[in-house]
Amino acid sequence: MIISVSHLSKYYQVYKKEPGLWRSVSSFFARKYETIKAVEDISFSITEGELVGFIGPNGAGKTTTLKCLSGLLYPTHGSISVLGFTPYERKYAYLKQMSLVMGQKNQLWWDLPVIESIELYKEIYNVSDNEYKKSLLELTELLEVKDLLRVQVKKLSLGERMKCELLAALIHRPKVLFLDEPTIGLDVVMQKKLREFIKEYNKRYKATIMLTSHYMRDVEALCKRVIIINHGKMLYDGELLELIKKHAPYKLIKVILKESINIKRIEQLGEVLHFSYPEFILRVDHKKMGQAATKILEEFPVEDVTIEDPDMEYVIRGMFTK
Amino acid sequence: MLLGACLQNKMRKYFLVITNTWNEILTYRLSFILWRLRTVLQLLTIYFLWSSLIPHQKTLFGYSQSLMLTYVIGTSFISSIVLSTRTHEIGENINSGNLSAFLARPIGYFGYWFARDMGDKLGNITFSLIELAFLFFLINPPLFFQTDVIYLLFFITTIFLGIILHFCIGSLLGMIGFWSPEVWAPRFIFFILIGFFAGSLFPLDIFPKPIFNLLQFMPFSYLLFFPLKIYLGQLSVPQIMQGISISLVWIIFLSGCLYFVWRKGLKMYTAYGN
Repeated sequence: MIISVSHLSKYYQVYKKEPGLWRSVSSFFARKYETIKAVEDISFSITEGELVGFIGPNGAGKTTTLKCLSGLLYPTHGSISVLGFTPYERKYAYLKQMSLVMGQKNQLWWDLPVIESIELYKEIYNVSDNEYKKSLLELTELLEVKDLLRVQVKKLSLGERMKCELLAALIHRPKVLFLDEPTIGLDVVMQKKLREFIKEYNKRYKATIMLTSHYMRDVEALCKRVIIINHGKMLYDGELLELIKKHAPYKLIKVILKESINIKRIEQLGEVLHFSYPEFILRVDHKKMGQAATKILEEFPVEDVTIEDPDMEYVIRGMFTK
Repeated sequence: MLLGACLQNKMRKYFLVITNTWNEILTYRLSFILWRLRTVLQLLTIYFLWSSLIPHQKTLFGYSQSLMLTYVIGTSFISSIVLSTRTHEIGENINSGNLSAFLARPIGYFGYWFARDMGDKLGNITFSLIELAFLFFLINPPLFFQTDVIYLLFFITTIFLGIILHFCIGSLLGMIGFWSPEVWAPRFIFFILIGFFAGSLFPLDIFPKPIFNLLQFMPFSYLLFFPLKIYLGQLSVPQIMQGISISLVWIIFLSGCLYFVWRKGLKMYTAYGN
């Protein structure tokens, strides 16, 4: 077991500011605090080489959990073990084997060429010259950043910078990698490139990766297993496919008609999600799917039929709004 | 041998921080040169003020013209060694949450900032030397040169202590970042205090005796005034020993405070997050 988290809770005391002059003066002397439960009673474990997606809306507790795992926060309750270490102790032996990348933070030297930061990291992580050369060559090729190394960080585009951040974070070949929103703010092409890189890195080096993202596409493309949290509580931990089966036991039948029909006739078959001639989308229970499809083909003037799994984003949104 | 190699390995990261800081200075050449220009102008003002106040061959407050001018030029040079620092970035670093990037890496936070200080000092010393060379060329000031090796050794020792003392104070002020976003106000007051009580405008012993005695027990005078007095050969060995002891006590006390405040701040930081 590479990562094991048991009954993790993390509460914050947040200072409550009162409006008005008098109240703000009095609150200077007697501060009122509010407890915010960022994460509550979460348990999971991850084995070597797994790539796990961590999903939830803003403020769900994803980043807090990653920070606890990388030792930046100490847990209020519960225990965490990563690679046999207690992250909060921040032993160098642990820090040397992991890496945390935050998509919204810049960790490179802003005014210097990228390579200067990377060389500093080489020394910080005590990477030998040979390993360094090898890693640098492989990673620059995978990330396609060879031409960027001599460019000042501040002159890079967001996507280029993110690639370089990843390069810097991986120069010591961490066994465990925490990625917090690595694709945030990037365009679709760049998102896809980064996704491919993460997948390749995971495969090539058997690295254990935990990744949070707003973009469902990231998770769909990368992770077999997902953990879903909302309001600090765990809603789901398991395979992505299972999740869809369990929480969305239906299929979507998309039909394009040759000529107009009465909507009432379709409503008998299932729930109509969308109807605007010539197209309609029908939501049908898993078990009744075959029957409904036959009926549509036999009884309606059909031009084209497709049967799809429900959109993952749709499924999860459904979970959150429950 | 093995220990040496190991130590060298450990030091390399800090060495790179120094060179990176140096490179950073070169990136912002213009703003750095303007910063130095300000120092030079201040130096020239004080220099000409004192050279007109003390006529040739006369003394004022026990200082001859050449001693006073040596003092003035000396403080300017020593402040480029002792007072140049990057610790003012610590508060900002904590406040913005960038501290996290350090906590997640195997590097010492204070080691990093001390190395950054060294890089900054390197830049300032280099420029200061160039400026002084120009100054000699242009106005050829009547300077006093200390030749006694003992005094020079004491001089170097106290400069070294001054560097550490100033780093402690600067980092301690940076720790405010854990509790408040307003890290600049205290820093600014401190800046003024230093300008005055470290003796960068005039030698502190022209103050009335009671005030001067009080100042001797404050840390400020050990940053500039004390090393220079040693250079000028105006202190006896017991006086030097007393001064070194007082600055050592301050260093121990302030680094103790720093350790305590850092622990406390870090505990809060890791409890509340950022």
